[in-house]
Parts: sequence; structure tokens; C-alpha cells
Amino acid sequence: MNPYLAVAALVVVCGVVFLLPLIPALAELKRQEDGLPLKVIQEHAGEIRYFADGFRNYIKTLEPTLQECLASGRTAKGTMPDGAEYLVLGRSEEALSLPLQQRDEICPMVLATGGDLILPSATTFSRDIYAGGGLVGGIENRYRAILGDKDVQLGRGSRVMRWVHAVGEFRADEGCRLYGRISSDSAIRLRAGCSFLRLNAPQIETGSAAPTTDQGNRSLSRPLNSPRMLYDHDFQIGAGKEFAGNLVVRGTLRVGAGARVWGSVKSSAELIIERDVLVSGSLISATRMRIGQGCTIFGPVIAERELEMEAGTRCGSPERPTTVSAPSIKSEEGVAVFGTLWAREHGQVVEKI
Amino acid sequence: MIYVLYSIVSIICVYTARHYWFTLNRLFGFQRHPYIDIDTADWPPVTVLVAAHNEEKVIANILSALMTVKYPGDKMLVVPVNDRSTDRTREIVDEFVERFPGRIRPFHRVTGKGGKAAALKDAMEMVETEVILIFDADYIPGSGLIKQLAAPFFDPEVGGVMGRVVPLNCGTNLLTRLLDLERSGGYQVDQQARMNLLLVPQHGGTVAGVRLSALREIGGWNDRTLTEDTDLTYRLLLHGWKTVYQNRSECYEEVPETWQVRIKQIMRWAKGHNQAMVTYGLQLLFGQHRATLRERLDGALLLGVYIMAPFTMVGWVLALAVFYQGVAPLHGVLAILGVTAYATVGNMAAFFEIAAAVRLDGNCKRIRLLPFLILGFTVSIFAVSWAAFSQVKDALTGAEFHWDKTERYRKAAS
Repeated sequence: MNPYLAVAALVVVCGVVFLLPLIPALAELKRQEDGLPLKVIQEHAGEIRYFADGFRNYIKTLEPTLQECLASGRTAKGTMPDGAEYLVLGRSEEALSLPLQQRDEICPMVLATGGDLILPSATTFSRDIYAGGGLVGGIENRYRAILGDKDVQLGRGSRVMRWVHAVGEFRADEGCRLYGRISSDSAIRLRAGCSFLRLNAPQIETGSAAPTTDQGNRSLSRPLNSPRMLYDHDFQIGAGKEFAGNLVVRGTLRVGAGARVWGSVKSSAELIIERDVLVSGSLISATRMRIGQGCTIFGPVIAERELEMEAGTRCGSPERPTTVSAPSIKSEEGVAVFGTLWAREHGQVVEKI
Repeated sequence: MIYVLYSIVSIICVYTARHYWFTLNRLFGFQRHPYIDIDTADWPPVTVLVAAHNEEKVIANILSALMTVKYPGDKMLVVPVNDRSTDRTREIVDEFVERFPGRIRPFHRVTGKGGKAAALKDAMEMVETEVILIFDADYIPGSGLIKQLAAPFFDPEVGGVMGRVVPLNCGTNLLTRLLDLERSGGYQVDQQARMNLLLVPQHGGTVAGVRLSALREIGGWNDRTLTEDTDLTYRLLLHGWKTVYQNRSECYEEVPETWQVRIKQIMRWAKGHNQAMVTYGLQLLFGQHRATLRERLDGALLLGVYIMAPFTMVGWVLALAVFYQGVAPLHGVLAILGVTAYATVGNMAAFFEIAAAVRLDGNCKRIRLLPFLILGFTVSIFAVSWAAFSQVKDALTGAEFHWDKTERYRKAAS
């Protein structure tokens, strides 16, 4: 073989091998199929009521029908602009008899009423529900999403797959599983055995007994710029002691019963708050946090792994709402959170930890 | 000579392993986003500093965006830091001040030392709040961004916060598309992995925040550095303050659209980074301070990222020299195995990281551009090496650094 030809062939083969991966690259560069900027969330910014607001807009077209059915007491069926079927009820108890009377039946329609709505038990509502008045759900129902302009009450063992927003109070009976976003403009009350992920309301209470201690007032507000104290090992604030300043501990931190902390607290390991402690700022743990009975925390409460809250604990206040967040949250009955309670993976209301 | 080559190869291997560790952590590890859930709180007062030097093309966009963010109006003050602008920046800022009384308080700086750090240092006289957020003028914050950047300051250990930068003009040309991929790798994988692994997320000086008391404790802004962000990261670290990265706090920016501008930008970053390496490297590794062992090691590796470019080039030259000298490193066979293994695994580390980042972002088709990154890396390695060389030359001749402003491409808002 001609050596020049061999060298030329080698160069050509190498060139082709080198250029092969560039073919899809050149095609993408020319066609720009994926050339738009990464979609940055600019609109809803994680707003909990985003889906509820969207659904409210969606059903605006039904407003005349809702009013007409409410006035006449009749039922109307039809199709939404996107092709979804809807059923508008004129009387609150109508859903109990029409058209869902069998156990485990699936309601595949958007269900709406301009007034109150009473729903049957053991039914799966696979489309969103709107009630212009209060909504009372039967037991062991499954809901996709609910928007209620007054109180919303779910029966024992019900499940919510996406979201609920109640303009009035939201109440869930024992054993409800709330997988999505639950919000209320008034209050959320969960009974024992309920599981949850993300809750937001001016007041969130677990169980029937709301904490009575109210150590909160605006004068407790502490600025973020309190002096910082940093400890590299375990640390303890003694029972009944007062501590002023921001505290950072790179080991386990225990705050003794009845202690008062005028500032924020961070622990890189476990954070144990004994009973009747007051913290004017935030509580942060890089791992696990346990808050004892009757504590009052005013700032955000963040645990990076687990959080347990015992009865009588109060986080935030009506004037200073706050966020309580952890991947896993276990809350005894009798805990109150003013603002957001957010369990990334699993939240559970229990009678006793 | 052979031992110098061994040392360089060993260091490169450490960085390769680090790439894989970070990428695998992002793909399979526990992801830390501890503060992103704070959506309800008694929000602290914040001052938003907008660094602006001849920014008539972009300043109106960021001020408009800041006026519509979801943050209590009475708790947020915007301070455009108009640093000796000679274009219409002042005029535009003053128009906004009139339109939004009480919400924008401009800082017009007409004299003084050049550079962002010097301008921010002077602007501190306007700051009264504990939380300071910083944006460059070409950024466009989304409505929830201020809350997201302020939230980590509820943690008393947090001294600095860094959000994610997303190129807005990524579709302009090959360079912007490559920079988009590099940014994805740098933020989506590198920064978040460092956050996950309790290492040293880097403060970027924009889409970022700093705690006033921490800043005072470390001595304020350092106007003798070219990269005030890197400098800030290390001074916070040495004083026991954490810098946290918020991957979901995203903000659009403009990336350079010409290679000339890109080369200038990366040379400035390299010089500033190397400056920080010289200033803080030994102190970080061996000094008495509050950084943990893993922070010391990761911080040192982070300080060395730009000096690796000239090291790599020296390695190439040494490898050639060794080859032509007829020396057989590691008895030949081991060297062949090593080179083969590295060619298979090592060279892919950075590509793997970027591919994983793009996959995490959900933009799969742009992965096709990956082979072109060789072009970007080649340009960077020479530019960064030249920066290091000229930095040594400047140090020997006593020449001073000078600040090159990054060019803007957006059309001025009417």
C-alpha cells in the first residue's frame, strides 16, 4: 500500500472518529432545540395557594351556572373549555344521592356548588371540588383537590392527593392523610392519626386541646444582630436559666426546663429543648430536634432530619407567624403553630410521642 | 523532574476524584435545602445593594424587578450603588427614586477607588440592617428571591448566602451555550454538593447576602482584592461563619457573548482567586480558627482551582520532556495503565459533572453540546495560565491590578 495513502487514510479515519460526537452537537447548535434559558420560577415563588388560585380562575366560567342552580335548587351538567365534565349541584345534600350512591364509586367530574356541600362516604373524587359555602366530607373519601369558600371538614380516614384551600377553617378527623398542600385563611385543625406534608394558616392546631400558655407579645421580638456565642462541643443551658444572645453549638445542645433564651439557637447535632422553655428567636438543628411540653418558640423552627413536638408547644404567634419545617415531623396533640408547618417527607399527629 | 510530574498528576487525580464525589453526591446523596421551606416569618429588615458602574442598559430592569418582589415593603430598602458611572445610570436611578419614594435610596459615588469591593465598602454608610443582599445590575430577581435569600439568616451561624445564577442569554451563540453548561455544572452540582457535604459553598458576590455583624467582625469589604466574593468566603470561614448555598434561589444574569470579554472575565476571576489562595491558603490549612477539618481541606482545594491550569500545562511539558528523555515513569507498565485509566475515567470527570447537572435541570437536549466544552476548557486553561503568569510578573514589577467591567448586551430599557 502506498505509505502516503495509508497516512492520509489514518488522518481521515481519525478525523471522522473525532468529529462523530460533534455531529449531534452541531445539529443542536444549528437547530437550538434546547437553547432557551433554564426556567426560573418567577411567578408563584412556592406560594401555597397557587393551585387554589388557579382553580378559582378556572371555575369562573361556571359562576352564572352556580348562581342559577343555587337559586333554583336544580342540578346542571356540562363540559368545561378544556373538555372536563362538570356537575353543578343546587342543594347541599344532593351529592349524597345523586349520582354517587354506591360505595367506592368514583366521581370523575368537577363537582361544584354555590352553597354548602355534603359529600357521601367511601367515594373517590378524581377531579377538583368547589364549594361556595361550607363542605362536609364523609368518611374514608379520596379527594384530588378542594376549594371551599367557608369551612371544610374531612371525615375520618379521608385522603387528599393534591391540595385543599379553605377560606374558613379546615378540619380533618382522625386518620386523614393529607399528601399535598393544605391552606386556610382562618385555621387548620388536625386530629390524632392525621398525616400531613405542607400546612399553612394563621393558626394550625393538632388535636382538640389547643395550648393555653400564651407567653407571646411583640416585645419579645429580638433582632438578628444579637451577639453570637460559638461553642465547638456539647453545651447545656441549665434549667430555669436565662441566656441572652445568639447561640451556636457544634455539638449536642440541651436547653433545660423553664429556661429563657433571648436570641436564636443553632446546634450542629441534636437539639433538645426541655419543657416550658421560651426562645425569642429561631431554633435550628442540623440533625434532630425534640421540643418538650409547653415550650414557646417565636422564630422559625428548622430541623434538617427529624422534629418532635410535645403537647402545649406553641410556635410563632398571631402577630409574628413563623415556619416549622423538617423532613420528618411528629407532633403530639395540643401543639399550635402560627403560619407554616411543613414536613418534607412525612408529618404525623400522634396522641403521645 | 519525574517527581514534580508525579506531584502534579497526584493533585490532578485529587481534583478528578473530587468531581466524581460531588457528582455522585448530587445524584444519589442526601440533599440539603434547610432554609428554603421558610415561607412564613417575621421577616427581618434588609438592604439590597445593587452594584452599578455604567449600567444604563440594565439598571432599569433590576430596579423594576426589585419593586415587585414579595417582601414587606417597609422592611426592604434598595440602594443602587452607582459607582462613578459616566452614562445615564444616575439619571435612570433618580427616576426610580421619584417613582418609588422611600423604597430606593441611591448611593451616587463620584470619586474613589475603582472596583466593586471599594464601591460596596463606601456604600456601607447607607446600611443599617443586619441582612444585606447584593446584586450586580445585570441580574433580574424573581418575586420570591428576596425572602429566599433572607431566610438563611434566621440561622445564627450563617454569615453569607449564595443563590444560583442562570444565564438569560444562553441561546445567543456557541460561547453563551457553553457558559450555560459550565454554570449548570458549577451551581447545580459543585455548589450544591458542597452544601450537602458540609464543605465550603462559595459566596459569589451577587444573588447573595451577608450578615452585617459578620461583615463587621471580619473587617468589612476588602477593596484590595479583585474578587471580593472569594475573599469574603474565606474570611467568613476563618471566623466561624457559614456560607450557605440555596440552589433553588435562582436568578437570571447575562453571560459574556464574545470570547474577548469571556477571557477578560475569567482572567480577573483567576487573579482574584489566586490572590485569595496566597492570602488565606496556609492560614486555612494550618492556622488556628473555627473551620472544621473537611472545610479546611475543601477550602484549600477550592482555592487551588485556578492555579491548576498552569500546573496542568507544566505537567504536559514535563510529560513530553520525560518522554523524550527516555525515562519510563513507574516502570513503564504502571504508567501505561495509569494513563489509560485516566484517559478513560479522569478526563471524563468534568464532563460527567456537567452532564449530570444538565440532567438534574431537566434540559436533556443541551447535553449534545458537551463535546464543544473542550473548546471552552482549552481557552480557559490558556487564559487562566496567562493570568497566573501575568500576576507573578505584576507582583515582581509592582504593577497594580485594574478592574475590567464586564460588557452588557441587553438593549437599554426605554
